Amino acid sequence: MFVAKVTGAVVSTQKTKAMVGHKLMIVEPYRLDQETRQNMKPVGRTFVAVDTIGAGEGEYVLITQGSSARLTPETKELPIDAVIIGIVDSVHVDSQCVYKRED
Amino acid sequence: MRIAEIVGTVTLSRSHPSLAGGTFKLAVPLSLDNLLDREPPQAEELVLYDELGSGIGSRVALSESREAAAPFYPEIKPIDAYNAAILDEVRVDPLLPSPPNRRGSKKT
Amino acid sequence: MQIAKVIGSATATIKHSSLVGWKLLVVQVLLADGRSPDGEPMLAVDALGAGPGQWVMISSDGKGTRELIGDNRTPVRWTVLGICDT
Repeated sequence: MFVAKVTGAVVSTQKTKAMVGHKLMIVEPYRLDQETRQNMKPVGRTFVAVDTIGAGEGEYVLITQGSSARLTPETKELPIDAVIIGIVDSVHVDSQCVYKRED
Repeated sequence: MRIAEIVGTVTLSRSHPSLAGGTFKLAVPLSLDNLLDREPPQAEELVLYDELGSGIGSRVALSESREAAAPFYPEIKPIDAYNAAILDEVRVDPLLPSPPNRRGSKKT
Repeated sequence: MQIAKVIGSATATIKHSSLVGWKLLVVQVLLADGRSPDGEPMLAVDALGAGPGQWVMISSDGKGTRELIGDNRTPVRWTVLGICDT
């Protein structure tokens, strides 16, 4: 899994039948800043992930990739390789907080 | 499985219901040079599902992709990285030469 | 299947139940030059008694791994299929 920020949603009218009714989000993976080790920064890539739990734009989420993305009742039959499995509340590194969700 | 070092924790405010029971840890896969203390870990961190209770600094056996979800069969859980073992000791032969091109990273 | 060099071993007390009783080798796949590591070292389950410095043939076949270990819930991917003579 990896931590990513939701940066947008995909709107697609013409799509394969299995995908109808599923929310697709654009996510940007984040990693630990190697210099400071005190914050997270984007790695520069983007992905599209199916949302099973109602993530919103700007939120940090946990993404599962690969064939494991289909290991939920909601995504079992979908031709997908990335799914949002959680909303990140906090990330700690060496017991120091590097991300905390604002309520 | 690769060898990874636990560097942090991730908590979730909401998660897929099938994931209850484990915790999420931030881990960095270790290269040969990392294991030999020739350089600090620099690989991209990943988040693994932990049922064994690893702590910061633990070295673990990192199971990835489909195998990571195998322990839950026949249940399904959307997990692509799993702590298969907390390693007490990793012995590596220091005589293997250092690689000239060391930033190769392979998903396994 | 891949050829890898055994570069070490690992031990663990707290582990998935399917790993109990198995020896864990640290193996490194090398590039075609026979020296440079190709990716990170990997942990492989070994039933053949391979030792450091030896070349082994490893497989990631899930079915083969589950059969060897005798547990269809094992998180193990790599097993040693053979020790290379040459």
